[in-house]
Amino acid sequence: MWLGLAEHKLWSNWGFSRMIEVSGLSKRYGAVQALRDVSFKVESGQIVGFLGANGAGKTTTMDIICGCIGADSGSARIAGYDIMEQPLEAKRRLGYLPDVAPLHGEMRVADYVSFAARLHKVPSTRVQQQVTETLERLSLGDVRNRLIGNLSKGYRQRVAFAQAIVHNPEVLVLDEPTEGLDPNQILHVRELIRSLAGQHTIILSSHILSEVQNTCDQIVIIHNGEVVQQGSVAELAGQLQAVRTYRLRVAQNVDQLIESLSTMGHVLSPRVVNSDSCELEFGFSKEANEQLLDDIARMVINGGYGLRGLAAQTRSLEDVFFHITH
Amino acid sequence: MNAVFTIAWRDIRATFASPKGCAIFFFFLGFMGVFFYNFLHTFVELTQRAPMFGGEAPTLEQLLRALFYNLHFILILVIPAVTMSSFSEERRNQTIRLLQTSPITATQIVLGKFLASAAVLALALACSAVYPLFIKVFGNPDGSLILTSYLGIFLLMCAQLAFGLWVSSMTTNQFMAFLFTMFGLFLLLILNWLAPSVNSGGLMETVLKYVASTDHLDMFFKGMLTVSDVTYFVCFAALFLFFTNVVLDSQRWR
Repeated sequence: MWLGLAEHKLWSNWGFSRMIEVSGLSKRYGAVQALRDVSFKVESGQIVGFLGANGAGKTTTMDIICGCIGADSGSARIAGYDIMEQPLEAKRRLGYLPDVAPLHGEMRVADYVSFAARLHKVPSTRVQQQVTETLERLSLGDVRNRLIGNLSKGYRQRVAFAQAIVHNPEVLVLDEPTEGLDPNQILHVRELIRSLAGQHTIILSSHILSEVQNTCDQIVIIHNGEVVQQGSVAELAGQLQAVRTYRLRVAQNVDQLIESLSTMGHVLSPRVVNSDSCELEFGFSKEANEQLLDDIARMVINGGYGLRGLAAQTRSLEDVFFHITH
Repeated sequence: MNAVFTIAWRDIRATFASPKGCAIFFFFLGFMGVFFYNFLHTFVELTQRAPMFGGEAPTLEQLLRALFYNLHFILILVIPAVTMSSFSEERRNQTIRLLQTSPITATQIVLGKFLASAAVLALALACSAVYPLFIKVFGNPDGSLILTSYLGIFLLMCAQLAFGLWVSSMTTNQFMAFLFTMFGLFLLLILNWLAPSVNSGGLMETVLKYVASTDHLDMFFKGMLTVSDVTYFVCFAALFLFFTNVVLDSQRWR
């Protein structure tokens, strides 16, 4: 115990900042290659969004990071401790909220949370205090003596949350924390995650982009078991901003307009979106300036196509995700 | 060690929080009562008839022995009911993740589960002592025989629990765990009847008879404690607890 504490102090004194380090994880379930060479790093105090469609390998990665299952190759380190080599040291610093909440329906909320605290080696003199604090923090004080099996989904999710944070772990791994919650509860969970940032390093998985966009500093996108993109939210959105697209609606002669657009410099892949309503779409290359838009508008009006609408397409992470995974 | 007690205490409370715990006590003590009544009735009848026919009256020790042999039979049904949920239910509900991500070893989990089921059944055994004690109060049987018999039954129970835990750790289906544990224990029970037909008089028969659980109880039921029988049960339990540990640990690298 003392040794563990001393070590921990050393790490932080030396500015040890890499809280989660995953390198070269591969995992195969029979014929299915679930993960292929997954690597990423999370600095201390950051919130990282782990984004992927269903079945992309999010839960498998999280299970490996938390030591529930083993990887075929590669390693995962929590606060410098390898989860396979020094599981006890690593797990002491870890809180995990799995996709299926690990709740015992026949237990009372406070009993369950204090069970989790004891399992995570919270000193017995402090268990009561920490359980009360955690329950207050998650506004579970009112239901502390209710049976978990009788609680609604939102409450259960919060109890599962309490289980993950009751021992004040340095690293929090949250697998789809807002799954199945109503919009109010989702907001509440997001606020909670935000409030935990700074003191905890958090990995949070989701297939909902807006959620990740709102809460995370960094994003790792995983698809078919491979990391396809990683970077900050701004970086990823910026990558797409580089290619601007516009949507144009005219009155007639779409095909002819497409032809003349193709001959213009810096206009990328003009195409008809809907020939009935005469809508078309085109992109600008990085070098193009806004002046080009004036030229196109002028061409439409002078050419007698009849301008009905011209709008910039807003691109969000949604597009990055779609772009990358398709 | 703290983690072991934490896990055990939660499991014990869970057993009694559900109807399962009560059902186990109900059936265990109920059947014991039926057997006790039945045997006592026969005992009294035989005792009354003995002078008439000039035969020897049965002894209280014989009555006790019959009772304990039947206890052994009931355990075959009760043990799987206790152990079936210990791992398979946790795996099915995914609650095992809480244990897997806690800073505890697989050994601590196994020992915690074992301690919990042993405590529940030890309590049931303690309650069943009311029948032998009844005989002790109203008759004068050999008191040490009751004690050694209970020790034997307790050791047997620990060994069977370890086997049940091992089966439970390998499946996510409680019913399968129940079935396999029950048939496994039954096989163990009938091994010494099967043994002669396997290879009469050979080494195989000796080995099979040694593995069978029933023979090792005889000495306990006669009021004798032998090192070899105690060793048998302790080794049996340790072996299957070790197997359970391996199964649990292997989930980390499978």
